[in-house]
Amino acid sequence: MMARRTVLRAGGWAAGLALLGLPAPAKAEGVVEIRMRGNADGSKVWFDPVGVLVEPGQTIRWTNVDPGNSHTSTAYHPANDGRPLRIPEGAAPWHSDYLLPDQSFELRLTVAGVYDYFCLPHEEAGMVGRIVVGHPQDGLPAATLPEPARPPLPSVEEILRRKVVRIDQ
Amino acid sequence: MLIRTILVAGAFAMAASSPAQAQNLDKAPPGGSYKKVSELVKLPDFLPGMGTLYVDPKTLPAGPFLAYDHDGRLASTIYMVPVEDIQGQKKLDNLKAAGGKVDHVDMYFNAGHPGVEKPHYHIVLWHIAEADEARVAK
Repeated sequence: MMARRTVLRAGGWAAGLALLGLPAPAKAEGVVEIRMRGNADGSKVWFDPVGVLVEPGQTIRWTNVDPGNSHTSTAYHPANDGRPLRIPEGAAPWHSDYLLPDQSFELRLTVAGVYDYFCLPHEEAGMVGRIVVGHPQDGLPAATLPEPARPPLPSVEEILRRKVVRIDQ
Repeated sequence: MLIRTILVAGAFAMAASSPAQAQNLDKAPPGGSYKKVSELVKLPDFLPGMGTLYVDPKTLPAGPFLAYDHDGRLASTIYMVPVEDIQGQKKLDNLKAAGGKVDHVDMYFNAGHPGVEKPHYHIVLWHIAEADEARVAK
């Protein structure tokens, strides 16, 4: 897992490997965009897409396009206010902090598996998302999702089949 | 002597009434214990559909929130009441009002935002006509 601020550090490391004549680690191409959205009166908020399939190492970018609210991208992980573990064992948790309109946050997930995440101020409103990295062999994490997060999440099978899953609003 | 007593009494009366009159809520910033919401939590300064919000933090989550247009004119007074408080039949008593004429009232659901994370209802006491709501639309 690499957040935007650590990508540069990883880049420097890769440059160092090049100087030593060693191959740099492969980086998946293309940025996967996830928009943080809300309707005009703030009665609905959601990640768009809500479910997405990415390759290991591919950059994921969350952007707040909701002019009247702030949002976060926060991994379901005990490090984030004791939330249940809903990312692969050994993968590092993330928390974007609050993003104001037009602000964005980037991340690279390198461990294959299923990652569930939420928006900190909107978890109770069901603003949750799921990322499938690679073609995981393991099933869903054992920990139970909090009640509000259950209905909107697409199944892993649906994400693998459709690659991008959106919520109709 | 009588004139002097009346003047002193008058000064006392003015001093006694001044706290209520000192705080002019019609123009932003309202002063007193009201704080700009965007300085208390990470939210945009101006919220489309509401305006620039001020609140006394001691009154959270219900408020009142005072909402001002781009020119700093009071547009509405907003209460934010969590759904669970409504379902729990919680009594909200003596909520302060900003004053001024209330033209009409809106009530609508909000999924939450920093400061009032729980899903809640906005109860909006508009101090301006419906046609003038465009002043805070965006």
